[in-house]
Amino acid sequence: MPESCEATVTLTGDLHARPAGALAVAAARFDSAVELTVGASRADAKSVLAVMGLGAESGQQVTVHATGPDAREAVAALIGILTEATKVGG
Amino acid sequence: MSDRAKVGIVLVSHSAALAEGTAELAGQIGGGTVIIATAGGTDDGRIGTSIAKVESAIRLADGGAGVLILPDLGSSVLTVRTLLADPEDLPEPIAVADAPFVEGAVAATVIAAAGGDIKAVLGAAEEARHARKL
Repeated sequence: MPESCEATVTLTGDLHARPAGALAVAAARFDSAVELTVGASRADAKSVLAVMGLGAESGQQVTVHATGPDAREAVAALIGILTEATKVGG
Repeated sequence: MSDRAKVGIVLVSHSAALAEGTAELAGQIGGGTVIIATAGGTDDGRIGTSIAKVESAIRLADGGAGVLILPDLGSSVLTVRTLLADPEDLPEPIAVADAPFVEGAVAATVIAAAGGDIKAVLGAAEEARHARKL
């Protein structure tokens, strides 16, 4: 039975190219499937192009949902990156 | 999987500036941990392609996990194919991506940075064909 985990964060900066890259690199290291939801849009967190395609901006809520053996670790790592990396911009 | 050697990327373009600029962009987005080598322009600096430049870029990009080659257009593909038709003592594995140049380079670099193998890196580059930007 695969584990499932979810958390939401409010962006403090735009999800531009560099933070999107950092997020996708981190997501791709996990075995779990990881999905981001912003409003009505969803993206595979392991696809940098899909993450950039969300066009997520400062103030928007991003939900990270992971399903798989390391779902909890994946959500914790990505929430950390969404909190930190978007401060720098890109 | 991040402790293993990473797949290297080779960008083959008719334009040295295009190859170098794309490498710079992909390197920034991918966090700078992947070797991205360029083979842009002819041997005497004109617009075109060079087998010798592609060959040396492949050797530069190889870190032990293989090399993904992204050609831009037309004769870049032919140049790569000509070289790979006789791959004597080139590193292995080598894959050639049928992908948009900029998007493919960015997507491939991210998966290589995460420690993906040559199949995963090739897959990321080729999936870039379906990525919508609007």
